[in-house]
Amino acid sequence: MAAISPQSTFEGDIFSAPMVHTDSNLLSCIEPDYKPFIPGNSLRRMTRVLKIGLTTALKCIQDSGITTPGPIVTGTGKGSLQDTEKFIKEIAEYKETALNPTPFIQSTYNSVNGLIALQQKCTAYNNTFVHRGFSFENALLDSMMLLQEGASHTLTGAFEEITKEHFYIKSRIGFWKEQPTDSRALYTHFSPGTIAGEGATFFTLTGTPSSDSYAAITGFKMLYKPTAEKLSVALKDFTTAPDLIISGRNGDSTYEHYYETLDQCFQGIPQLPFKHLCGEYDTAGAFGLWLAGQMLKAQQIPQQWFPFSTEHLPANFNSILFYNHFYGEQHVMLKLERV
Amino acid sequence: MEELKKKLKEQIIEALNLQDTKPEDIDDNAALFGEGLGLDSIDSLELMVLLERQYHIKVEDPREGRKILQSVQSMAEFIQSKQPA
Repeated sequence: MAAISPQSTFEGDIFSAPMVHTDSNLLSCIEPDYKPFIPGNSLRRMTRVLKIGLTTALKCIQDSGITTPGPIVTGTGKGSLQDTEKFIKEIAEYKETALNPTPFIQSTYNSVNGLIALQQKCTAYNNTFVHRGFSFENALLDSMMLLQEGASHTLTGAFEEITKEHFYIKSRIGFWKEQPTDSRALYTHFSPGTIAGEGATFFTLTGTPSSDSYAAITGFKMLYKPTAEKLSVALKDFTTAPDLIISGRNGDSTYEHYYETLDQCFQGIPQLPFKHLCGEYDTAGAFGLWLAGQMLKAQQIPQQWFPFSTEHLPANFNSILFYNHFYGEQHVMLKLERV
Repeated sequence: MEELKKKLKEQIIEALNLQDTKPEDIDDNAALFGEGLGLDSIDSLELMVLLERQYHIKVEDPREGRKILQSVQSMAEFIQSKQPA
């Protein structure tokens, strides 16, 4: 696994890295030095999300120890926004003539996948899912089916960026909180909207877990715009109570009732929300899954990232239930177990 | 001509985001593609766009483009030949 996020997740020890916070309603990625991963001649042409996505994928490949990845399956809600915005602005500025090819090529959603495949000389299955809040989860589902069909492993991930322009557009439709909010106090500011974020996360998935695996996914459900009753039934399907819940709670009062349903279904089970660490975005679920995997493998919680938590957290945990939704539309439940 | 070549080098560096290259690093007659600056086919399209945006010159024939984009010298000569007398 590998992640570039607004926290120090790419290098170093996450269990001692201090928490990064914001009061501007926007959490941006901590970018690493890309030069050890991407040749200078390629780097000069890439925009931020391409660099973030490609570098995370390469680090994940390193981390897993595989030489050449097989199928590459990713999800992104928006792809390279920076390239898209540049291309659209130039269409207007140059009246549809003299357009640069680079932003056009890179604005396509599957650019990151293409770059990984080119750099790693991969000729296997290559697909990018663009399904808003289900983008990463559909990539995950597709990967699971590929593994079921016999693939030895898949490189599965997600990437998203936020730009000034996009932040502004989304603020006009109420995605973000109106008042500047300290991300550390996100869950106590009950008002419409949340804080924006971005990040790239990659996983190497295998059909059967090994001793090197971070965790095993033993349950997976996606629901589109469920009623509270349907959500409750789906959550209760995870019959064995988990030791810990990681939730996508984000301080948005408009959709808080879904998390209240979660609270009711699993009373007494400690919960850790993660959106104060990465912000909200279409593929934020991938970050939550990465965090759960890290915690299961290390049997440790990065306590410094959850200073507000008053719940009694278990010293050992064998299973984590992950629940997240994207603005009330795409709901995801995953069960992870210790290997 | 010297002034044009200097300006052209600055524009190439900016358009192609050649971060570690300075105008004085680019030899007037060095090949832009392959060896020399080591540019590739996407860069050639970017340079065509540069000619169109900065000098209002549209290169219609790709075979002609190959000759024009050989070096900074050839680009400058082409630009000069298209300037009104």
